Amino acid sequence: MNLERVPNEEKLTLCRKYYLGGYAFLPFLWLVNVVWFFKEAFMKPVYTEQLQIKKYVKRSALGLLLWVTVLTTWITIFQRFRAEWGEVGDYLSFTIPLGIP
Amino acid sequence: YKDVTSISCVGCNSVEKKIYVNLNYTVPCVRLLNATHQIGCQSHLSGNVGVLHVLESEENLDWVLHSGLTPPYLVILESSLFTRSIMMKLKNGSSRVAGVAVVTPNANPSQGTSPHTSCPNENTGVYTENYDPTMARCNVTVWNPLGTGLSYEEFDFPIFAMKEDNDTQVIRQCYMDHNRAGNGSTPQYPLCAMQLYSHMSAVTDTATCMRRNNINFSLSPEMVCDPLSDFNVWASTRPLNNTAKGHKEGESVVLAAARLDSRSFFFDIAPGAESGVSGFVALLAAAHALRNATQEAPPPRNILYAFFHGETFDYIGSSRMVYDMEKNNFAVDLDNIHSVLEVGQVGLHAESRLWLHSDPVSRKNSSVNEEVKKLILRLQSAASGLNVSVEEPGFSQPLPPSSFQRFLRARPIPGVVIEDHRSAFTNSFYESMYDNAEYLNISYPPDLTPDEQLEYVTDTAKALTEVATVVARTLYIQAGGAESRLGSINADPQMVTRILYGFLVRSNNSWFQQLIPSDLVSHLSESRCFVYYLLDSYGRAPALISPPTLLVQYLLANLTGSTVNVSQDDCWNQRVEEQDKESKHMYSYLWVQGAAPPNSTERVGFCMRSAARLSKALSPAFDLHEYTSKDYSTWTESRWKTIKGRIFLVASHELEMLTLGVGVGVLLTSLMLTYIMSSKADILFSSGREPANATY
Repeated sequence: MNLERVPNEEKLTLCRKYYLGGYAFLPFLWLVNVVWFFKEAFMKPVYTEQLQIKKYVKRSALGLLLWVTVLTTWITIFQRFRAEWGEVGDYLSFTIPLGIP
Repeated sequence: YKDVTSISCVGCNSVEKKIYVNLNYTVPCVRLLNATHQIGCQSHLSGNVGVLHVLESEENLDWVLHSGLTPPYLVILESSLFTRSIMMKLKNGSSRVAGVAVVTPNANPSQGTSPHTSCPNENTGVYTENYDPTMARCNVTVWNPLGTGLSYEEFDFPIFAMKEDNDTQVIRQCYMDHNRAGNGSTPQYPLCAMQLYSHMSAVTDTATCMRRNNINFSLSPEMVCDPLSDFNVWASTRPLNNTAKGHKEGESVVLAAARLDSRSFFFDIAPGAESGVSGFVALLAAAHALRNATQEAPPPRNILYAFFHGETFDYIGSSRMVYDMEKNNFAVDLDNIHSVLEVGQVGLHAESRLWLHSDPVSRKNSSVNEEVKKLILRLQSAASGLNVSVEEPGFSQPLPPSSFQRFLRARPIPGVVIEDHRSAFTNSFYESMYDNAEYLNISYPPDLTPDEQLEYVTDTAKALTEVATVVARTLYIQAGGAESRLGSINADPQMVTRILYGFLVRSNNSWFQQLIPSDLVSHLSESRCFVYYLLDSYGRAPALISPPTLLVQYLLANLTGSTVNVSQDDCWNQRVEEQDKESKHMYSYLWVQGAAPPNSTERVGFCMRSAARLSKALSPAFDLHEYTSKDYSTWTESRWKTIKGRIFLVASHELEMLTLGVGVGVLLTSLMLTYIMSSKADILFSSGREPANATY
């Protein structure tokens, strides 16, 4: 969708929808929000709704950062220590590699 | 490689066939797991590639491990170099070793070597610290002094066995042409390389692999390992009601035991001529010799012949039978057993001497001691007049590894194990691929047809017949039979030589073909190798019985049973006629395809009635789900997807990187060109027309 031809109020509703949707354990919505509205929020000349859009984009970015940190930490720990966890590691896995511990 | 492929692949132009030569005969070493360890070999999922190197001597290892310039290497070993010291050095240098291929010779080596441990089954026998600390762990006698323990080591590269045939010549030629360092100069790329695939799915130990077998919610449930299992074969001279399990009042049974299985370092090669075949052939012949006597003048006690499977792997078969007896899941129980006579390794008896081993700890009890002494006296009187002498070792020595030890773990039963060694094994190829017919000196005069070879009585067969006669006569007196009949109990050398031929030389012979049903004929293979176990797909499908076990069952049925006039349909349904519901408790009925009468080609089948039955030989640890059990065998074998090997020429690493770099460069260049051309498109492709309106 080309944001050039969308009126500002609709831009604001879109941004808010994506921001609120991200709270349902959907960090990708926040990612999309940040990437899509970045130009609108920070690089376009000022218009009325821009302040609110800026707020939503900033908060989406924060949420995204939090998710990235948590997921990266968990994935690193799991990949590194799954073999040592034995039974627990096996029960947490969807696909267990063959032939290696 | 190039020349050979064009000969072997006429008219096909596939690029793959021009690069790779596939090996036809590949025998891998596979991974086995138990409660604590994993043993055997493993390769990468995409195979292990290594530059070929034919090892000339142990000093040459330095090239592979340190000074060679093109690691990793795939080492080709002659069988004389397949020793523990070389393999351990290769194992330690495994970052530079991609795999090992052992060329097995056509003749046995002159020096004895055994890949098994020096103290077989030391943890699951009867000699534990509790039973007698002085006798545990082979403190008194090291049974297998030539044992290197190679079969129980873990390697993280594949080890394959190859025969001395055309493929191996191709490999050597490839090495000579490309890899040979001539006159001090290092060999240049392209070099001859081999790739071996033997990726094993299971890992760590039995508990882990059984758990991974049973995980329910994974995306693609896969079986990674199978417990070792097969069937024991047993029969009794007086039929026992097999449906009424547990203690049988008034039954006193003499158990005659022998072992069926064997193994070697590699998968599926297990001739076991002296380790296993000699023992069970002697017992089969004894059972045959006793058929008439036990039917015409049945002795007071019953005789139970038991052939145990899986004894190599911590006594799977015998531990299962003892467990079944304890849980009242077998036709008799431990209280019914009067005594045990086991036939161990009896093929090699030098100077025709047999040794009678007994357990000194249980003999400290005077009543057990009396019974054992009586048994030994009966053995000696049975051997009198024959060309073989039996004696005790003469000093206090524990029992050799034998199924009888598992029975002793449960009860102090009097018993004797007959072996051909006084102390350590005389078998210098115990559980090795060289323990074959040649080792037992089974040789036939040249120019005999297979049928003539089948009937020719070799010297080994004659010697084994003597042993069988001793066993048969002893069993008869031990069961309470009359001494006067002893002279008429004789084993048949014709029978012995046929069975030896069938199990050690060629199993697809005319006699075996008569004894089995028609659907088993395809399982008889040309090359005789004893399958040592088969895998149970653990509850998901009926367990398969390996062909040798079935052969022993049909043989035992033929040698101890009798023909009955029953139709094929009734025979398959274990009944004599339509309404018969009782016969199946006492007898088992087997339909065999028989021989073709002289003037026709159709075989005339018949029904064999006997007391020969199968009983499951799966370690109790798997029924009890105790995968870390110390009392029972916990051996499992890993599953795998492909086992193959191929050779090809491999280029230097620099060349590969150069090719990749050039390819990436071409990609980037073309991307850049496309971008430049598309951004300057209006200049480059102007044709004077009005530009089209923006459509979007």
